[in-house]
Amino acid sequence: MGNRVAIVGIGQTYHKSNRPDVSQPEMVNEAVRAALADAQLEAKDIEASFLSNMETFEGIYLPDHGMADEIGAYMRSGLKVCTGGTSGASVVAEAFHYVAAGLFDVVMVTGFEKQDCGDTTAAITAACTPVWGKGVATGAIGEFAKQALTYMENSGSREEHAAMVRLKADRGACLNPYAHLKLGLKSIEEILASGYLVWPLRLLDFCPQSCGACALIYASESAAKKMAQKPVWIADVETVHQEPFRAGSFGDPTGLETYTQEVACERVYKRNGITDPIKDICMAELYEPSNWEELNLYERFHFCEKGEGWKLVEKGITEIEGAFPVNPSGGVIATNPIGATPTIRVAEAALQVRGDAGPHQVTRDVHTAMATALGGPNWTVLTLLKRSL
Amino acid sequence: MQIQDRVEQVDDLDRYVYHGRIDIPNSYSAGTVGSHFLTELRDKKIFLGMKCEKCNVVYVPPRSTCKYCFAKMDDSWVEVADKGTLLTYTVNFAPTAAQPAESPIIYGIVQLDGATTGFVHMLGEVDLEDLRIGMRLQAVFKPERDASILAVKYFKPLK
Amino acid sequence: MTQQSSQEQELIRINYGTPRPYKWATGKYIGKLYKEAKENKQLVTNRCPQCKQLLWPPIAFCGRCKVDAGEDWVVMNQRGTVVQYTYLVVPMWDPHYGEKFANPYPTATIKLDDGAYLVSRLQEQDPEKLKVGMRVEAVWKEEGRGTGMGDVLYFRTIEE
Repeated sequence: MGNRVAIVGIGQTYHKSNRPDVSQPEMVNEAVRAALADAQLEAKDIEASFLSNMETFEGIYLPDHGMADEIGAYMRSGLKVCTGGTSGASVVAEAFHYVAAGLFDVVMVTGFEKQDCGDTTAAITAACTPVWGKGVATGAIGEFAKQALTYMENSGSREEHAAMVRLKADRGACLNPYAHLKLGLKSIEEILASGYLVWPLRLLDFCPQSCGACALIYASESAAKKMAQKPVWIADVETVHQEPFRAGSFGDPTGLETYTQEVACERVYKRNGITDPIKDICMAELYEPSNWEELNLYERFHFCEKGEGWKLVEKGITEIEGAFPVNPSGGVIATNPIGATPTIRVAEAALQVRGDAGPHQVTRDVHTAMATALGGPNWTVLTLLKRSL
Repeated sequence: MQIQDRVEQVDDLDRYVYHGRIDIPNSYSAGTVGSHFLTELRDKKIFLGMKCEKCNVVYVPPRSTCKYCFAKMDDSWVEVADKGTLLTYTVNFAPTAAQPAESPIIYGIVQLDGATTGFVHMLGEVDLEDLRIGMRLQAVFKPERDASILAVKYFKPLK
Repeated sequence: MTQQSSQEQELIRINYGTPRPYKWATGKYIGKLYKEAKENKQLVTNRCPQCKQLLWPPIAFCGRCKVDAGEDWVVMNQRGTVVQYTYLVVPMWDPHYGEKFANPYPTATIKLDDGAYLVSRLQEQDPEKLKVGMRVEAVWKEEGRGTGMGDVLYFRTIEE
């Protein structure tokens, strides 16, 4: 393992459907300024900038070219990462590698997406090749819809359980000043009454398209000691990729596939001596595009036995005051600026470790937290954070 | 709509090339600062720049953050001239899918009087033989104008 | 290009859309699938010489065994079973056609009897009649354009 790396600055924009008041670089600038203020640093203190964006979702290529100067990266080192849905976590891992290797002491990681610029579902649909899925692909939502059906059939769960996840997410979002959708949902019935988008996914079962950005500042151990902000240590990162399952990118109906989530978490758990995840890790920020996916992910990250994910939410274990809180921020289903979404997972987990999450700070003391990312053909990126190493 | 599926056979039957297209509607926000520049250009036929007092730089088109000192420049607006100097140019003879006028197009970078930066636009009412770096130019506005840099038809030589 | 403006301070948004043409070379293995689909209305694929699994779609390399896949070709049975399905309720933008999805056909993940999984449209349009486990069979477009799976019109429900 290389040098120790800490997160010493966290900033994000308020996330919204539409931001006509700012250009794309100006929106990113807001998150950059917020992170600098949090770290009590100036732009000149940053040695390198690492960016994440789902290129072409805004209808332009190379968005980083049009914003380097405006986000304080003029003449800085750095690069942009685009790995699909996981981009915002791949960039967290990539920047970690640079600092751990000793190449830089202070760097900034910024994820962003301005989804009022285009049709995201259409852009994702265009990611399928003409050989496979042309004419049958419907963005990510069609895949998650089929997967929800499989989960229901295999686990014995009901729509009510997915609705419980949605209710929990909205409760968190309403406590999170930055969250996008704050619906004030009162009951499961309200969610079950929302119309179908792509059967069996309802309007309230899927994530929104948000405009927003999130920035993190990393410091090496020696640099972090001189800084004002409490450090949150990056204990581990893991990235696992595979090709899409030829039939259904996110849920495997064959029962034969190995899931990247399982491979990734087993590696992280082994390296960090984690034997009982929901005991040894204090909370998680999961990348759940749909409420059904959150139930799936409980199982794939071994938070419970197979087929029992829905029991965690039924028992309230993953609520803010539960024994193992998941997505107290409201999660992806409340806020989804794609290139920033996984970065927000890491940011929110770091705020929980720092104890600075405010109204949505979980009841349990958080000395260790995990942030996950999902994207592309079921790729997984994990980030493990600790208060001390 | 006619489906775009077409398959071209190359060399032998084992290799195919599929001809497709991607067609997604997009939009781009100019933002508060950019919008003010564009509406003033449309309504008053004036060019506005944003000035960083500390670095003594005038950005045209304007931006909200100084690239040198990272200062926030919200409303340090200055008006610059509709006349300027040609910094460089090129002539495009090959038509492309998305071009703002008929070919051939003379693209130029114009430094407006009072601005530190160059402004990309087109040149008109000029013979190709007369083009010179450093020549003086004057903006020509369209009679009907959108809030876009194409409210300016082109820049012509200043007599 | 058109523009929209919002109130108070007028905020400018430029709307634009330029269809981007592209060419997609299928390569030799997918090319064979295309050819067989167009000329013989058959679904073919190859088999890994090591693990002997069907590599659907046909591919040059087995990702699991990390060996060259070779030319062990199989003509697949076109009957299968629905294992997942969904249907659009709200029409979405289809980037390949530049218009809202005019997709009245539910789509499904189908397990062919040979074991390969594929996604295609279903003939059955009544959501009440869709179910996991229903038996289906490929129906081909009369005039295949040589677009591989795109030459399959849909899978029709069959009684056995």
